[in-house]
Amino acid sequence: MASKTAPIGRAGPNSRFAIFRCVAGYLLAAALPAALTGLFVSLVPEVAGGGVLRWSVDWVPSLGVRLSFLVDGLGLVFALLISGIGVVVFVYARAYLDGHPQLVRFFVVLTLFMLAMLGTVLADNLIALFVFWELTTLTSYLLIGFTHERADARAAALQALLVTGIGGLAMLAGFILLGAAAGTFELSQLRAGTVDVRADPRYLPLLGLILVGCFTKSAQFPFHFWLPNAMAAPTPVSAYLHSATMVKAGIYLMARLLPTLGGTEAWTVTLTAAGAVTAVLGSVWALGQSDLKQLLAYTTVMGLGTLTLLLGLGGTAGVVAAMVFLLVHCFYKAALFLVVGAIDHATHTRERDALSGLAAAMPVTFVTAALAALSMAGLPPLVGFIAKELIYVGAVEAPVVPAVVVGAALAANALTVTAAGLVALGPFLGVRRAWSQPPHDPPWTMWSGPLLLAALGVGAGLYPALIDQTLVAPAASAVLNTPVEVHLALWHGLGLPLALSGATLALGLAAWSARRPLDRALAAAAAGLPRSAEGVYDAALAGMKGLAAWQTAVLQHGRLRGYLATVFATMIALIGLAFLWGGLSPAVPLPLDVPLYAWGAAALILAGTAVTLKTTSRLTAICALGAVGIGVAILFVSHGAVDVALTQLLCDILFVILLAVALLKLPRFRELPHRGRAAMVATAGLAVAFGTLVSLILLEILATPLDLRLTEFFQSHSQPTAHGRNIVNVILVDFRAFDTLGEIAVVMLAGLAAVALIRVRASARRHQENNR
Amino acid sequence: MASLLAVLIGAMVAAASYLLLSRNVVRFLFGFVLLGNAINLAILTVGRYRGPQPPLVPDGAAVPTAAVANALPQALILTAIVIGFGILAFSVVLIYRAYEELGTINSDEMQVAEPAGVPGGPR
Amino acid sequence: MKPELLLVAPLVIAFATGIATFLARRRPRLAGALSVGGAALLLAAALALLAQVVAAGPIATQAANWPAPFGITFVADLLSAIMVATTGVMALVIAVYALAEIPRPLESAGFHTFYQILIGGVCGAFLTGDLFNLYVWFEVNLMASFALLVLGGSREQLDGGIKYVAINLVATAMFLVAVAVLYGLTGTLNMADLHQSVGRVGDVGLLTVVACLFLLGFGIKSAVFPLFFWLPASYHTPPVTVSALFAALLTKVGVYALIRVFTLIFTRDVAFTHTVLLVVAGLTMVTGVLGAVAQMQVRRLLAFHIISQIGYMIMGLALMTPLALAGAIYFMLHNILAKANLFLISGVMRRTAGSFDLGEIGGLWKANPALALLFAVAAFSLAGMPPLSGFWGKLLLIKAGLDAESYAIAAVALTVGLLTLYSMVKIWNEGFWKPHPAGDGGVVTLAAALPGGRVWLLMAPIVVLAGLTVAMGLFAGPVVRVMLTAADQLLNSDAYVAAVFGSGR
Repeated sequence: MASKTAPIGRAGPNSRFAIFRCVAGYLLAAALPAALTGLFVSLVPEVAGGGVLRWSVDWVPSLGVRLSFLVDGLGLVFALLISGIGVVVFVYARAYLDGHPQLVRFFVVLTLFMLAMLGTVLADNLIALFVFWELTTLTSYLLIGFTHERADARAAALQALLVTGIGGLAMLAGFILLGAAAGTFELSQLRAGTVDVRADPRYLPLLGLILVGCFTKSAQFPFHFWLPNAMAAPTPVSAYLHSATMVKAGIYLMARLLPTLGGTEAWTVTLTAAGAVTAVLGSVWALGQSDLKQLLAYTTVMGLGTLTLLLGLGGTAGVVAAMVFLLVHCFYKAALFLVVGAIDHATHTRERDALSGLAAAMPVTFVTAALAALSMAGLPPLVGFIAKELIYVGAVEAPVVPAVVVGAALAANALTVTAAGLVALGPFLGVRRAWSQPPHDPPWTMWSGPLLLAALGVGAGLYPALIDQTLVAPAASAVLNTPVEVHLALWHGLGLPLALSGATLALGLAAWSARRPLDRALAAAAAGLPRSAEGVYDAALAGMKGLAAWQTAVLQHGRLRGYLATVFATMIALIGLAFLWGGLSPAVPLPLDVPLYAWGAAALILAGTAVTLKTTSRLTAICALGAVGIGVAILFVSHGAVDVALTQLLCDILFVILLAVALLKLPRFRELPHRGRAAMVATAGLAVAFGTLVSLILLEILATPLDLRLTEFFQSHSQPTAHGRNIVNVILVDFRAFDTLGEIAVVMLAGLAAVALIRVRASARRHQENNR
Repeated sequence: MASLLAVLIGAMVAAASYLLLSRNVVRFLFGFVLLGNAINLAILTVGRYRGPQPPLVPDGAAVPTAAVANALPQALILTAIVIGFGILAFSVVLIYRAYEELGTINSDEMQVAEPAGVPGGPR
Repeated sequence: MKPELLLVAPLVIAFATGIATFLARRRPRLAGALSVGGAALLLAAALALLAQVVAAGPIATQAANWPAPFGITFVADLLSAIMVATTGVMALVIAVYALAEIPRPLESAGFHTFYQILIGGVCGAFLTGDLFNLYVWFEVNLMASFALLVLGGSREQLDGGIKYVAINLVATAMFLVAVAVLYGLTGTLNMADLHQSVGRVGDVGLLTVVACLFLLGFGIKSAVFPLFFWLPASYHTPPVTVSALFAALLTKVGVYALIRVFTLIFTRDVAFTHTVLLVVAGLTMVTGVLGAVAQMQVRRLLAFHIISQIGYMIMGLALMTPLALAGAIYFMLHNILAKANLFLISGVMRRTAGSFDLGEIGGLWKANPALALLFAVAAFSLAGMPPLSGFWGKLLLIKAGLDAESYAIAAVALTVGLLTLYSMVKIWNEGFWKPHPAGDGGVVTLAAALPGGRVWLLMAPIVVLAGLTVAMGLFAGPVVRVMLTAADQLLNSDAYVAAVFGSGR
């Protein structure tokens, strides 16, 4: 499963500059995230003091879209996580993928991702936020599919793109509705609360749409399935995007919109329920995984569920707990992913069953894993313990069914203890195995970052002031839109939370000691457990493809007659509908004032038409058409259109000659299969209906008087101004000369095209023969 | 006069439509010729019948002295006839060439660009 | 140059170039150079016209100085000017691409002449203020497109050509009938005059019937559901140059005509006509994109996408709000650039990977990252990914839909956006990411695809169009502002009508 790359630490090929190139590579890779981290750290004092930094420029003012950014407590915490973990991941990835031919592309995309992610959490305009949000989706797609020659990576990338894409589109609609309801797209103005969106009739739809976006991005049940599949990405990508940053974007947005949209029953129930279900199912699924990376992915699902649950609770306790757990989770989860990457690199496997006894061979990795896992399990004195206590404080205060919420949190946390053991102890303790290549710790570029992250968990636990006043309080204040005091401590005093912590540990250890039977039970249950919406996704994708194929076969079947029949049916249907809609009912006047020769012409036309319809002889048909032309010419004359009649006759004759020459080289009509009776009736029905409609329209038109302004102008200006006595000619060459120009162009083109059609065939064949 | 033409045109359009809906592309072409004639008559008809006098300005006069036919539709028809003829001429050659290459004038058998039975078209 | 002359300049330049290339057809290199030069000149004139209209509002000129509505008026409001300028851009870049792609025998058979006359006809259609004259330009376009479509005479071309010709002949016949009956009802052909005359028509029901005739004629031209069959039947058969040109301009002339007549003339029974348009828009989007999803052949896939995206433009017209019309025009401009570019790219994909068929190609991301990047820009723009141009078009239209409380069409537009993304990613996954079935040797580099540096004749147009797509997204602010002004001119026809009748000048 691992992305197989060149061995770690391979030197450049025989170049004395290799070392410089190597160092320069690391510097280049990490320079931007490091600089950004420095920038954001320097902003901490000001933001912690209640300051807010803004920067904005107009983008599409007519839509209310500004490229506006705002750094407050919440944004800064995320920005620090994104850039700080970015440094670790960039350095790690540079070593992990050393020698990979697409290394540069990888870093370009990863850097773009980082910038998009920063844009998402710092944007103060909903549409700008959406732009960055979608860019994270796009870059995530490219990164999941980095090992693009593998079909499973391509499928996973597509799946992540589509699932988060659905969410993104729903979210866009939600944002537009929110903007319309609030009268602004600016988040800071939304928080100012001049308009209470919650009272707007569009509140429920827009909340639902935005939450679909958040849930898909943050892998909430039932949309979570794309996340484990996204583990097809190289491990640094998994650590960065799919545990620490991108999957937290939905969490970020929910926190950001809490003051605007939160506090309602719909908000509380939806988030609490989704979060609780996701947390419990995530932790249960995690235990059933044999692949360490998959296991971690599911514990990430659990963590994201917990965060959603806490934001659903909405009170101060819940939000503070969410902010602390957010930090804690990033520290330990990113560290553990990178540890698994190191194990993978050293042993070329991530299967739990194949790994044990690595502690001696990989001591640094083991220490890192152990520290991170202790925090994950929530043991004192690590900061994970504080987070767990706070989660229970929040859960106990839950506004809806606190007993259920506490139960869910307890179950999820207990199973997380077990999962922590499986990741951190399983591979390192137990029997040593015989490896074909003895495993060893990775180079410092790959162990220093994870160790630092794991150590942060210890440091923040022992010395909570590192985070409480600097990060947690400002973030919670920003989320709650009101100043909050936060003092974190390991010792919270005796109480229900402590008791729950104890119970968590006890249950978790019990599950750990029973892990073998538990594994079997889970494996047996896995078949019964819903694979959730992935089945729906697969079915929807297959269904959509099936529908597409069916529809295309029905519509675009390749037979001209069917196409034309559809076109005619559509014309009849629409015109008929318009007739009914307009309530038109034609009165047919009797044609009494018709001179005899016009009757004759009409009869000639009808006869010619009938013969053309009936005959199977090509020459008869051509002659009949000629007769129709003559009849039409007579009618022209009867209307005083002598020039027209002459032209008509001329074209008629030319056409008959042309047809006669060409047609005789074509097969006889009798050689064609006769259309069936049913088809004949249907076609005749269409034809008669269409002809009738045309007649009806003409009769309607003729019942109205004609405005003759144009004709009168031509009559009065032809001779005096344009110096022509034949008014038709004057119209053609003067009043409407551009029509005549176009007409000439058509005829010239037709001739040229006909010649080309006949000639190019020959020359093209010559051309081909010359090339042979 | 106008009512007769309206009905006549309807009949011609119906017959033309029937021919246009034929598998035989030559009969399609016949249909198009018929349709062109019908439309030209329709343009004539909507210009209203004003007697058989051609729209000419007599010598020595500045404007027509008697009631003459509506000149504008006639001009439009002339343009339409010529355009229609150009397109017909090209179409005849196209059908001829299509027959040479595809070996048929039955449009049901013209499935080269969109082969039947191949999901998603030609591979 | 007098501003009025700018109105006929595109037409004159294209026709003059057409004649010049005809005279030079025995010397293909010269004819090609003339074609590119003429297109550049046309672009310059079109941009001057656009600048003029942006600065001073709609302008008009009367052919042979006969006052409107008696002669033929040429008139450009912002919509027309934008369309002509876009035509100029496309004419130039595709003419350059043609230099490397069109084989000599086709050039000496008059390719450049057909090309230029088509461009001229398109400009004529955008600029004329007379309905019958519009019909004439439609026929000019049609005849030139017939010629280009079947030039080369392959079996596929002739097969597709028959279907294309047959259905389009029905469309122009319908258009001609529509013009005739509208004349019979109002006595005029000048569009600005019609704007006023239709107000005097007593029988609105009859006017609506006539409106439907136009809807059907232009609907076939625009390839809306269920009238689009000619398009997927033929667009994948001619040389890539021709596919790209058609994709850029032909259906858009139909959409332009729909927008023109359904904002200027047929606005008396919006409840019927624009509801029909809205339904048609939704069905066109859905059927088009599903057609695309089903395809494995890149050009057929792209052809179906044209249909789907016509639906978005019609949606903007159907909603008839300033935002919606601005969205329709923005979307049209964006779509012309992105879609033509994808066709051009498909040609390079075939040259480097050996086929148009996604099952037979692959490995392009590994071998030609630059091409992949350019494809990504065009494809993800088409799929509406921010911050590329397609996103803003989609945003405008969906916001317009939601603002108008047309939730169903907004939902359809969003869903179709997702399917568009899916089908673009399908090309990416199969053509670019998947290993080539024949191994790494199955793909050649750009330079090897077309030796002698001529590959730049293929790549330069692609780079330019991708750059424009990016620019349209990044500088969406001013572009959207212009589109809103154009929409305002459509909804408020006074300036247009005043320009045609010469008052205020």
